[in-house]
Amino acid sequence: MNILTHLKSGAVRSLKAWKGVLVIWILIFSLVSLIAFPLKSGLKSLIGSSMITELLYDSINADVITDMSKGLASLIPAITSGFLLVFFLGFIMNAFLTGGLFSILGNKNSKPSLALFFAGGAANFWSFILITILTAVMILLTASIVGGISFAIVSAAGSGTPAPGATGKVIRIALIVVALLLPILILVADFARAWQVANNEKKPFKAIGIGFSTTFGTFLKSYPLMVIVMVVQSGFGALVMSKLLSLKPSTGGGVFLLFIGSQVLFIIRIMLRAWRYGCVTSIMESPSPCFQRSM
Amino acid sequence: MKRTVSLSIICLILMQSVLSQIINKEPLSSRQTYYRIDAKLDPEAKTVTGKMEAYWVNKSTDIVPDIQLHMYMNAFKNNKSTFNKGVGLNLADKKIDFGWIDIKSFEDGKGNDLLGHMTFISPDDNNPDDQTVIKIVTEKSTKPGDTVFIVVQFETKLPQGSFRTGFADDYFFVAQWFPKFGVYEPAGMRYAVNGGWNCHQFHRNSEFYSNHSVYDVKITVPVDYVTGSGGMLINEVTDADGKNKTLTYRAEDIVDFAWTTWPGYAVFTDEWNHVKITLLLPHIREEQVERQFLAVKNALEYLTKNVGPFPWPHLTFVDPPTKGSFAGGMEYTTLFTSASADKLPGFIHLPEMVTVHEFGHAYFMGILASNEFEEPWLDEGVNSFWEERIMDHYWGENSGLIDHPLLKIADKSMSRTSYLGSPNRQLITNREYSWNYPQGTYSMMSYNKAATILYTLMGIIGEETTNEVFREYYRRWAFRHPSGKDFINVVNEVVTKIHGDKFGPDMNWFFDQTLFGTGLVDFKVNRYYNSKIRDFKGIISEADSHRFVAAVTKDDTIYKSTVELSRPGDIVLPVDVLVHFDNGDSIMERWDGKERFKDFTYTGTRQIEWVQIDPEYKIRMDANFVNNSMTDNPDRVPIRRYTNKFIIFMQYFINFISL
Repeated sequence: MNILTHLKSGAVRSLKAWKGVLVIWILIFSLVSLIAFPLKSGLKSLIGSSMITELLYDSINADVITDMSKGLASLIPAITSGFLLVFFLGFIMNAFLTGGLFSILGNKNSKPSLALFFAGGAANFWSFILITILTAVMILLTASIVGGISFAIVSAAGSGTPAPGATGKVIRIALIVVALLLPILILVADFARAWQVANNEKKPFKAIGIGFSTTFGTFLKSYPLMVIVMVVQSGFGALVMSKLLSLKPSTGGGVFLLFIGSQVLFIIRIMLRAWRYGCVTSIMESPSPCFQRSM
Repeated sequence: MKRTVSLSIICLILMQSVLSQIINKEPLSSRQTYYRIDAKLDPEAKTVTGKMEAYWVNKSTDIVPDIQLHMYMNAFKNNKSTFNKGVGLNLADKKIDFGWIDIKSFEDGKGNDLLGHMTFISPDDNNPDDQTVIKIVTEKSTKPGDTVFIVVQFETKLPQGSFRTGFADDYFFVAQWFPKFGVYEPAGMRYAVNGGWNCHQFHRNSEFYSNHSVYDVKITVPVDYVTGSGGMLINEVTDADGKNKTLTYRAEDIVDFAWTTWPGYAVFTDEWNHVKITLLLPHIREEQVERQFLAVKNALEYLTKNVGPFPWPHLTFVDPPTKGSFAGGMEYTTLFTSASADKLPGFIHLPEMVTVHEFGHAYFMGILASNEFEEPWLDEGVNSFWEERIMDHYWGENSGLIDHPLLKIADKSMSRTSYLGSPNRQLITNREYSWNYPQGTYSMMSYNKAATILYTLMGIIGEETTNEVFREYYRRWAFRHPSGKDFINVVNEVVTKIHGDKFGPDMNWFFDQTLFGTGLVDFKVNRYYNSKIRDFKGIISEADSHRFVAAVTKDDTIYKSTVELSRPGDIVLPVDVLVHFDNGDSIMERWDGKERFKDFTYTGTRQIEWVQIDPEYKIRMDANFVNNSMTDNPDRVPIRRYTNKFIIFMQYFINFISL
């Protein structure tokens, strides 16, 4: 099977898993609401019946922030702790939801049901948390090593007179190196999770090992596929963030439309994540000598 | 005798030099001082050795027994200098390379050695360890109209990249590097009760008060070094051995002469009307050249139009490299330094802001040579006010400093935020000398509060009147030494001339409360309400009886609408109040602000919908704009929009961390 076939297979699988995608959207939205709506109420309370919001139409206004600084100062601890809570809960919840998503993306599940989604999430919860943590550590280590080497090069050059733009070039090269290594680490994590769900084993370290062997065993196929998927995902994310965050609707209806539009786009973003998992699952389920060995 | 004759000839040549005109057709100032300096940089030893021939003319009616000169490089000589104490750092621990200026010989115009007559004095704090001011008792007291000639051999050791001057590797910014005359103030000039020298020590926060002078300066540097200065380049000669070159500069009617040299500079030139502009910056920032020229040309245009002409035909400015950032953001009239960073995104207008600010000092301190030590607000505050006006005029009323779709910040907002956001905003007034501001309040008071005060003044008297104030200030005080009192007198005269007694006989009430007071401005809408006016309802007496009268409800209900305002702040200012009614009518009221509260009452069929004090946000000293308005139907759209964007951001963030 070629890359396009796996991309197509991943897309079909993700579409079939639409119920799981909606569950993920609802849960993430609910989680974010824990902090967003109290924040909104706090701001409304600070502004009261003032007309100062006329200064906030164009952008956040430094004068208004100054005048509300005392009130905002009392909100900041709540926002900070709320943010940490959402981060922590989000991390845990996603381990569960990712387990559910992988469970309904496999070929053996002709009818991906919600029951299967939740059962898969529960069954793989702990090992998925560990795999996610291990992968995050690997990504951080890789970035630190590459960043450290770049820093050493720049520091060494700094003692003399570096050529114009040399520092910028070193930093750009470092970023490119990290960007090239990132798909490998993501592939390892995805293969590990797909393998675990397919084999119903709760051995995260073994899964990571198989993730590595499968990644390099199918490298010519899986690496370009992951690059394509990540480019699409990143491009979509960057486009949405830059466009949506710069929109400035000035009416209540406009804000509502922005809300609806942004949520639809976020559902598509989750669908793209499911697409990636589906593609990796498709590769793993294909009759590959490497995969047979891993099994 | 022969030596005396030769020195006399030198004096004659010096006089001839200052009287000659090279740059401008006519002298711009009274030129009480003149300097001819022949200096050579030793890049290895980090020293500048030089010979200076200079004079000071006694234009007062006093007989003056001495002269006083700045020796500001000695601020970096030891840990006990007033500057180093003011910095509050234990520089000894940092093992930095200190700086100093050493006088090798000091003679008068007749060849008399004055070195033995030289003493270090500390007029500001009596610090015996500070050596930044010298006093020389001359052989004879200087009579009115007489001139004191001096010939000084000196060696200046530059400090390692320190405050505003020094070196970093092969980068040099050479400022405050030669002995410079103080200003002799006869009785009646500014605040002088008796005649005397005004020659302050070098402080952390201030360093400028000098006469407008003519400078003829020769600088010898290695041949591969690129040099810029506050003078116009007259000549450049490479030595016979090809190792060094000597650059000859001429500057007229400026208050200080500084220069910079570094092999890494790229040089660009541009023109604005009669002014040839030269920019020196590191190659890596060549992409910012257009931004820098645009900034300086905008400032030239705006200040020429609203204050007065820029009289010099030359202007040099420098964006120091990262390693030379200690020199960033400084002003030497026809030379100034900007500040930036490599690859700085275009939406951050930091280089533009610094360029506009430092160029502005050519007016406020350069042309209008106020005393930065004694009245820093008249220098930094006035200049910040103009910087903010220029930035917000050319780069967007709400985006003078930051202009990004997600965040816009006006330059004038930064001053207001720094002033009103400071916990020490009411500690002290602007009457203090620069080194007396306690608890880190110098910048907030001298730059931010002063600029916000001037914005508030403009909000009261109007923009065109404000411009006329500064035009008159320029006409009257250009190339002289105005004080704060002189500036306020100009404000009083111009405002009275344009507005009559609309604001009273003068504007002293404004400055007394704001500049020389510690109070806050705050106005507040307490509430408004609309109550129906009904027919009488109740018991009435008629002859020997009493009866109850019921109210009759009418279709054309009459309302008594009342607005209740208060002034929680101490400062009394007049302010506009806009009252809006449900039938679309609006009434602009004027409240003199004298009472602590004020009610406005209206009777009619219309009801008040909203009320806004200072609807155009012109009273920028107001400590809280939020309580300036009230409505029954507050507009929540921006808050909903920001909440929505926060949700979007958080959703994508959580999705991102899930891998």
